[in-house]
Amino acid sequence: MSTSIWETPGTLAAKFWNEGRADIPICDMHGHMGTHNGIYMKRSDPESMARHLRRIGVKHLVFSHHHVVFGTMRNAEVVEICRRYPELYRMYVGIIPRYPEFVREDLAEFDKWTPYAVGLKCLADYYKIPLTDPAWEYALKFADERALPVLFHTWGGSKYNGGEIILKLVQTYPRIKFFLGHSLYGEWDMAERIVKESNGNVWLELTAIPGEYRRIEKLVAAVGSDRLLYGTDLPWFDEYQAVGGVLSAEISEDDMRNILYRNADGIMGKNW
Amino acid sequence: MKEIFFFDADCRIGSGPAIGIQPDAAKLIADMDRFGIDRTLVRHGSCDLLGAEAGNRELAGMLAKDDSGRLAGVWCILPDQCPELPQGDEFFAAMKRGKIRALTLMPDDHLFVPCRLVIGRIMDAAAERKIPVLFRARGNDWNNAYSFVREFPRNRIVIYELWGKWGRDRQLRPLLENYENVFFSTGGYMVPEGLFDLAELYGAQRLLYGSGYPTYNQGSGMLQLKHCGLSDAQVALIAGKNLEKLLDEVQL
Repeated sequence: MSTSIWETPGTLAAKFWNEGRADIPICDMHGHMGTHNGIYMKRSDPESMARHLRRIGVKHLVFSHHHVVFGTMRNAEVVEICRRYPELYRMYVGIIPRYPEFVREDLAEFDKWTPYAVGLKCLADYYKIPLTDPAWEYALKFADERALPVLFHTWGGSKYNGGEIILKLVQTYPRIKFFLGHSLYGEWDMAERIVKESNGNVWLELTAIPGEYRRIEKLVAAVGSDRLLYGTDLPWFDEYQAVGGVLSAEISEDDMRNILYRNADGIMGKNW
Repeated sequence: MKEIFFFDADCRIGSGPAIGIQPDAAKLIADMDRFGIDRTLVRHGSCDLLGAEAGNRELAGMLAKDDSGRLAGVWCILPDQCPELPQGDEFFAAMKRGKIRALTLMPDDHLFVPCRLVIGRIMDAAAERKIPVLFRARGNDWNNAYSFVREFPRNRIVIYELWGKWGRDRQLRPLLENYENVFFSTGGYMVPEGLFDLAELYGAQRLLYGSGYPTYNQGSGMLQLKHCGLSDAQVALIAGKNLEKLLDEVQL
């Protein structure tokens, strides 16, 4: 048997294998927090998640709280959670267009929530309102004016946040930093097209993809590693599984570093 | 150094038109080398669409050509009443000749009911011979897995599930709690530190490292297991020793 990736001296893979972490500041750009209807999540509270994140060396997790995006918890409460972990947590302001008064109130507070609030989160599939619907306009214009990151839940074939919808959105809002959550899962050609037809403001976010056979290799070949962002949906998916998926891909260590932290730091600024 | 013996419980080779990936035994061995997988238990993709007889035959052919000694096969079973496969002792002798050490079944694809009336004879023979039976739980509906385990409590049953990525603790834990012969192959199970919890609750000996290859690569689950928080000894059991022991106990 030849030398495995885990045994190759000096590599990121060997470092993570032997020590459980490496000297890189991982940026997990897609997280959540709190309980969820469909899964028993033992480690969904801030402290349990923080322990898991620190073990592997995550610098920042950017998350939207389940109870905001699926309930009536307010974003201001999430800011308070972030304040208790100022070095670790950053948040997306959850946008539910069915609660328009909440959206306006919360965005009016956005600047006061610096440095914790770094962008917006839109889960159109779950609210069954297409992202091109006027209900989203207020929030998306807000993000466009400020060139904010917006993490969109995207999924191939969806009539709410699928490829055609995202393409229209990218054409409509040239300044938003589009983070396409799950990389338009399944609509891979469209994901590539959207990145290539954008003005450099679109990144594919990898949640649910690391570990899939040769998927990361194909995405790197299609759009380049500088267009990919690391994410886990934590507390859904294990950080070691996801990092393991990136390390297992047949790509260069430069590509791995781009995915795991360089791209995020490049977008957000070194000291975000 | 890797130092841990890995025996992958969940791999498929051969045709896979539904997912467009068709690794053969040589490609699997190359991938095993890349990640440091020592041995693998493999099924054949042709069972999905061509059926059990074709898949079993193709798998035996592939394994006959493989001289690595690192692959052990899984054959698919069919209803006792339709003699498409060798019957009785002849079936198990053919398993032995073909490097086959475990069984599986695909009742949804092969259109039969996986109950005692239908597969009782072969399942009883498998229980006598301590042959593990891999059973695929079905996405959000685990009724099939529950029925199967209730129907065959004497068999060593390895549950695996690759349909979705949502954590399956609500479906899985009752089976591990109530049936001592149920094992769980870890492919596609991505719950943060969930392997630690399952091992603490039900014992590390109930868990088998499985990759889900080639839906998944073999590496991501290895790192997940290595750093799930269990002791080195517990990790070693899950990584390979449990499956090695199960297969060592098979009597063909």
